[in-house]
Amino acid sequence: MKKPLVEIWGDVVDAKELTLSIVITTTLALGLHLLAPADNPTAGLFFGLAGAVTGFLISCVLFRPKRTVTKEGEE
Amino acid sequence: MDPMILLSMVVAAITAVAIYTFIGFIPGTDETSVLLPISMAVVLMGVDPIIVLTFFIASIVTLNITNTMPTALVGLPGGVMSSAMIEHAIYIKGEGRSAKIIKKMVAASALGVVISVPVALLLANLIAPFAANIRPYAPYLFVFGAIFLSLISRHKVLSLFSILPLAMLFQGLRHLYWGTGVVPPDVTITISFFLGITIGPLLVSLFALLNRENFEKMRVKQHKAISVPKDDHETSLNPFRILDKEERRNLSFGALIVNFLFVLSPVGLTILIGESIGRRFKTGMKKATLSITSMSAVVQATYLSGIIIPLLALGIPLSPVSLGPGAALYNAPPVLSLDNNLHHLLTGSQFAFAVITGAIIALSLSYILISRYAGAITNFIMVKIPHEAVLGLFIGFIVLLAFIDGGTINIFGVLLVGLVAGSLNKMGVNYGVQFMSLYAAPFLVDFLAGLI
Repeated sequence: MKKPLVEIWGDVVDAKELTLSIVITTTLALGLHLLAPADNPTAGLFFGLAGAVTGFLISCVLFRPKRTVTKEGEE
Repeated sequence: MDPMILLSMVVAAITAVAIYTFIGFIPGTDETSVLLPISMAVVLMGVDPIIVLTFFIASIVTLNITNTMPTALVGLPGGVMSSAMIEHAIYIKGEGRSAKIIKKMVAASALGVVISVPVALLLANLIAPFAANIRPYAPYLFVFGAIFLSLISRHKVLSLFSILPLAMLFQGLRHLYWGTGVVPPDVTITISFFLGITIGPLLVSLFALLNRENFEKMRVKQHKAISVPKDDHETSLNPFRILDKEERRNLSFGALIVNFLFVLSPVGLTILIGESIGRRFKTGMKKATLSITSMSAVVQATYLSGIIIPLLALGIPLSPVSLGPGAALYNAPPVLSLDNNLHHLLTGSQFAFAVITGAIIALSLSYILISRYAGAITNFIMVKIPHEAVLGLFIGFIVLLAFIDGGTINIFGVLLVGLVAGSLNKMGVNYGVQFMSLYAAPFLVDFLAGLI
């Protein structure tokens, strides 16, 4: 089957991988947030942000950019 | 000054440069969405206000420089501000001169900072004596601001007509949360609604994908073709050598004038000033170069004046920059509130010291880094960072902050805000009008309710 490639916000993405990336990042952000001590709002925010960044890094490892990159020999 | 504080300020500025150099090089990273959560986290850590301000200034200076790099090098806008430059950037790239132009842009950016910091500080000090007279009128000022920004926008009537419905939406959700008891009556949800507005256009595009017919229309067959220019290691780093006299004169004028217009939308100002400077030339390299260097300087000046002037002079967010990306410096419960924020916690000289320290560290580090390695960093991002991960990170941020602000119900509240704001945005109602409407909402709805 052809890959479901779409152009969104100026760049090309695979719709399936985009869905997965959103699910992974959101789950980790909320999951880690809920693991933080409930009486400490700062820790809650930090755990959540760390979760989101972890999700981002996992997505970077799992998915390849849909770009064909060539290097120019300018001037 | 306590040497520990000074050391912490330097560390904060360097951290900001490291974070926002990386983020800035990633195409499509919206400024508000990446500045607000991180500055919010820094405020909530409870660090000294002077360190918060240093961090924030270093963040915006770095981000405004690094965002222009993917724009110039590969033709993908780094953020909302650099979308204004894209047309000229693509022309210059087509002429094979993008490796040279980025040096001019970085130098222009640096001059923009050097001009706007003292001017903004001076203007703030001139306005400050009138602050006590201005502050009681803040609710009226937000209403006036929403109307004013509508009137100077491209779609005046459309923008005017969207103010009250938006106010109804925000207050409607707040009253729903109070009514169902999910949010205590003394808490007003604001931050997550901001981000809902910011991320609105992306949410609308993502929802459009869920429609089969739309999906087929947005479908493409091939990967995005990107070519990355080589770094140019030869040219000098002296901004006065990199920019010619005409470029320096034009961008200095632009960076100066926008300080007086700090209440206006930064994107709008950047387009307005950049295009009117380039307009004297019909086509060609000269037009593109003059426009893009002026824009690079103006972007810095709009952001710096938009945060410095309202924050130092008034302590109420009376500019699009303060309402959006800088919101955490004004209002970050439980640490900061509109009656107790950086304006109240810092003296004038502490304020100026933090701004100057943040700006100098960010400028010097990113200036050297980018003049030498822009091509190499861009190549790394293009090859290693998928767009999917970036969009996923945005959605993750927004869901998290919505949940923290008002629980599960607010995730859907913010989704609603995003869909309405994003649709209006696509029709032509700019962010400035929408942010102002959010701040004016309580006053407007009380007023409407009083009419019967």
